[in-house]
Amino acid sequence: MMEVIEAAGYYLPQGFEEHVKAFTTEVYQDREIAVHLKAPSVSGAMVEVLADHLKKEREKYLAHQPIERIIDVLDEASRRWLDKSYPYRELALKTIPVITGFSREVVEASIDAEMESSLREDIWRALRSEIKNPLYLDDFQYSPELDGYCRAFGPKLIVSFFSENIPGLPHLLFMRSALVKAACLGKVAAGEPIFAPLYLRTIEEIDPGMANCMAVLYWRGGEQEIEEAAFNQADAAILFGGVEACNSLTKRIPRGIRVLVHGHKLGFGVIGRKRLRHQGLEDLVAAVAYDCSMFDQQACLAPHGYYLEEGGEVSPQEFAQALSTAMAGMNEKMPRGRISPAEAAAINQLRGKYEFKELRGDDVLLVVSPHGTDWTVVYERDPGIFRPSPLNRALWIWGVDDIFRILPAIKPLFPFLQNAAVAIGDEREKEFIRRLGELGVTRITSPGKMLLPSMMWHHDGISPLASLLRWCDVEKKDEIGGMETRER
Amino acid sequence: MSELPKEARDLDRGILAFIQKGADHHDIEEFNNLALRTFEFQYNHIPLYQRYCQRRGITPQELSSWDQIPPLPTDVFKSTELFTLPSHIARTFMTSGTTMPNEKGRVHYDEGGLRLMDATIFAAASAFLVPDGVKTLILIIAPPPGIAPHMVMAYGMDRLKDCFGLPQSHFLVGRKGFQVKDLVNELHTSEEKGIPVTICGGSFGFVNFFDYCRKKRLKFQLPRGSRCLDAGGFKGKSREVGRGEFLDYCEEFLMITRNFCINLLGMTEIASQFYDNTLRNFTRGVDAPSFKVNPPWTRTLVVNPETLEPLPPGEIGLLRHFDLANRGHICAIQTDDLGKMVEGGFEIYGRARESEAKGCSLTIDEMTRAMEE
Repeated sequence: MMEVIEAAGYYLPQGFEEHVKAFTTEVYQDREIAVHLKAPSVSGAMVEVLADHLKKEREKYLAHQPIERIIDVLDEASRRWLDKSYPYRELALKTIPVITGFSREVVEASIDAEMESSLREDIWRALRSEIKNPLYLDDFQYSPELDGYCRAFGPKLIVSFFSENIPGLPHLLFMRSALVKAACLGKVAAGEPIFAPLYLRTIEEIDPGMANCMAVLYWRGGEQEIEEAAFNQADAAILFGGVEACNSLTKRIPRGIRVLVHGHKLGFGVIGRKRLRHQGLEDLVAAVAYDCSMFDQQACLAPHGYYLEEGGEVSPQEFAQALSTAMAGMNEKMPRGRISPAEAAAINQLRGKYEFKELRGDDVLLVVSPHGTDWTVVYERDPGIFRPSPLNRALWIWGVDDIFRILPAIKPLFPFLQNAAVAIGDEREKEFIRRLGELGVTRITSPGKMLLPSMMWHHDGISPLASLLRWCDVEKKDEIGGMETRER
Repeated sequence: MSELPKEARDLDRGILAFIQKGADHHDIEEFNNLALRTFEFQYNHIPLYQRYCQRRGITPQELSSWDQIPPLPTDVFKSTELFTLPSHIARTFMTSGTTMPNEKGRVHYDEGGLRLMDATIFAAASAFLVPDGVKTLILIIAPPPGIAPHMVMAYGMDRLKDCFGLPQSHFLVGRKGFQVKDLVNELHTSEEKGIPVTICGGSFGFVNFFDYCRKKRLKFQLPRGSRCLDAGGFKGKSREVGRGEFLDYCEEFLMITRNFCINLLGMTEIASQFYDNTLRNFTRGVDAPSFKVNPPWTRTLVVNPETLEPLPPGEIGLLRHFDLANRGHICAIQTDDLGKMVEGGFEIYGRARESEAKGCSLTIDEMTRAMEE
């Protein structure tokens, strides 16, 4: 029996739907579930009116909300999503797999991970980490460093482009917009248009005034008239996507608009010989398997490969064997999703190539899932250049005699470097991390934590909240009547 | 070079005779018989392939049908030498390897294998490129084998030129790139003297020529019997041109109607070529949809991209080709082209892996761009 689910691939502020001339419905189907995804036909004129509306709503409401109140709303939203009986969560778990191909288990794990790191304390800490005193967002506050008073103003309207199919990424951007008290218009990707609208419906349940400053639409990337209408009204833009898409957008953004770009990136891991021991091996391979399996390795945070140092108690080959067991276990717990013929073909070609290398007697090891292309582990000695993986749970294990030898292969990746898991386990770790930082890595973590960045992370090397702010400083201490300082 | 072993010579004799029977027979039994013999030969002469088959529990003794022969993924040629008679290599063709220039696929031929390839070129072109038997001036937008000794398209088009072209037929890509003015002059002469031409080359080379014609406001009215033969597609290129649009350009700039435009699928890993049946149908007065024909010495299967298991006819999947003329290396080749089987052949929808450019088109593209500068 086919179950039909109606879902919205958009979110519009209350009362705005009357400006929509027409809706279209796309049908997605996977096995027993059909998702009828409704979305408005978008035009430049409509975006212009919407952007103006969002700014007015912000002026009326969000701009005057105390930061504490905003954080409480966001915290409450995260808590609702963490509740397994929350209806929107169940709706997301049913529909997102149909559209993205991810398994339900992957979507569930991602919602849990993202919401658990979006609770009250995380948000306060993220703000404090970037702007010291979050109350600068509410009013002038005394700054001991300045020996005066400061206030931070966020943009009026942030336009955000998402091109990834990673659920939950858009919600982070709506959180950030709310924290700087900006209205936000998000353009979602065709690959995952569901989560962001559902999240905004949660905000609407908790604080309709706040939700009225937010909207989600979909249009085909490159629609110049629509995009111009959006940029013309915005004072900040946040872009996610491939190098070419981001470049093309950046060129069309008028001057004076603050632009934060998060291009496509790649990750990798490094494990030193001291950490390659029999004791704890099971946990270590489970951690690596998690890094490689979450979002089916499609997120920029995911590793393409792990460099393993030779000379430890466990050889890289043994590690690859142990890892394959963990990959199989992970695939039971959190199955790999549907992938395209192109993706499957790429994995099968890679397997063919390495099977022959193995038959030929090369120092390689290929361990693959018993069925289909579910997971693939390929061990080889470090080829000296960074070979990207075909992804979808295909992980390189590169053996290297000295961990520092990988640095020349990492260096040319500068524009794409982002996330690295590092476990050296001896005194060289500090120096190694220093070198990765110099080369352009923006996040270093432990194996198993690659996909779990905190809200405090300087996302792609930038301060995601502070970069959106404009400051006003009062550099005088006399005649400051009326300004008072609150503490939290 | 010493003579090929008797086993190979005997096999080649059988395959050659089969190819020379032309494209119009359906000798299924003889195909299967030759396929199994060829498989046994390859199994016995390529130890790596033998182990590959053994891992899958397949030996020549137990095999009864060509479609059980284990296929080789095309990427294997990028890292592993697989050839039945390594001491008899007469020629090596390479894939363009645009993403990893140091990882080009290499496919070897001995003298016997080259004769088989020559026979397929002749037999297939007779049936699909010149079913009307018209001799044309063949103008090739590709470098000659002297400049591109490892490019299989250069080799194949050279054979076409020698077998089917008028004496002045020639290549138009030299060491300095695409001699576009040369082509323009040749086409003007053809118009004036009424000599039909065949323009052949990579698909993207054609598109660059059309761009040039548009810029220079050039339009030709080529004589009746003129035709276009384009190979490959637009994978990995700055711009994609749909088939319909491509055919419109052939008519607009060359006055060659779609019945005389033939697309060719050729691959370095496969000795034979797959032609559209367009012109052949037209010549025979058959009004039927166009697809790539499997000449009798080849077969094509469509397989599930995940499991690589064969799919029923009509479903879309990855193309797997079998070619008797691949006697020297491996007959069964697993590609990552997406397509669908139809009665007598297949439709191809392009490469599943869009990130990697296919075939020879890119080098010609680079040459064409160099010309423009």
